[in-house]
Amino acid sequence: MLRRLVLDVLKPHSPSVVELSQALSRLKGVEGVNIVTYEIDQKVENVKIIIGGNKIDFEIVKKKLEDFGAVVHSVDEVAAGTRIVEEVRTPQDRSARL
Amino acid sequence: MGFLATIRNYIKISGVGSISRRYFIMNAFDGATTVLGIVVGAHVAEITNQLWIISAGLGAALAMGLSGFAGAYMTEEAERTVSLKDLEKSMLSDLSNSIVGEASRFASIWTGIVDGVSPTVSAVVCLVPFILSFHGMFPIHLAIQLSIVIGLSLMFLLGAFLGRISDRNVILHGVKTLCVGLVLTSILLIFKLVK
Repeated sequence: MLRRLVLDVLKPHSPSVVELSQALSRLKGVEGVNIVTYEIDQKVENVKIIIGGNKIDFEIVKKKLEDFGAVVHSVDEVAAGTRIVEEVRTPQDRSARL
Repeated sequence: MGFLATIRNYIKISGVGSISRRYFIMNAFDGATTVLGIVVGAHVAEITNQLWIISAGLGAALAMGLSGFAGAYMTEEAERTVSLKDLEKSMLSDLSNSIVGEASRFASIWTGIVDGVSPTVSAVVCLVPFILSFHGMFPIHLAIQLSIVIGLSLMFLLGAFLGRISDRNVILHGVKTLCVGLVLTSILLIFKLVK
């Protein structure tokens, strides 16, 4: 079962992020939603959506986003299981940046 | 989501609120002005049959209603289809089944309804005294006076409403629209004097 989802989403300006966050937060198994807009174009905007919950259904989330005219560009982070495991930094990450 | 909540949602998403408000004022004003013209014109022509005035007024109201609905619906539908296609190009996806597409289709119908109903209602309201007079409640000359007062009051109220939504002087805007009705009435009454 999914506990956290981080999605990169492209959406029209309307419906707004407020309406989208409220709609996502009402989905079964979702406990909280955070949406950050990081790029705004003339007609569309890119947002990062972080969804936390105890039993998130990815397909239902995707369907809701599509209902709102949004498209999932990528799934950037997923946490599943009884406990959320945070991302850890490894030496390889640092060397990769170098 | 309930029916009213869905409509409110569609209005918000499509941004049709301000457009329909504009259509409502413009066409209700048209309806009131047209019937005012018919009523004062009938008075100038010394028509004493209520049914003629009611028929002419209702005919005009129906014509304005139908033309308003068809014109606004077709115009809005064409404009919104272009906008939706534009947005679909930016999104690289089909939005016709999304809430955006639904709101877009709703907006066309909504503007058509507002554009059709507003002139019809304002025109029929101005004709109410003649309908009552036809049923023998009061003489026709009183119906003419009442109808003119109702028409001018409607114009004032529409102007005042404009003043209110633009957060400016309500009375001043009411008087401005009232002046249009007064000009029309005066011109027609001059015809009566020179006849």
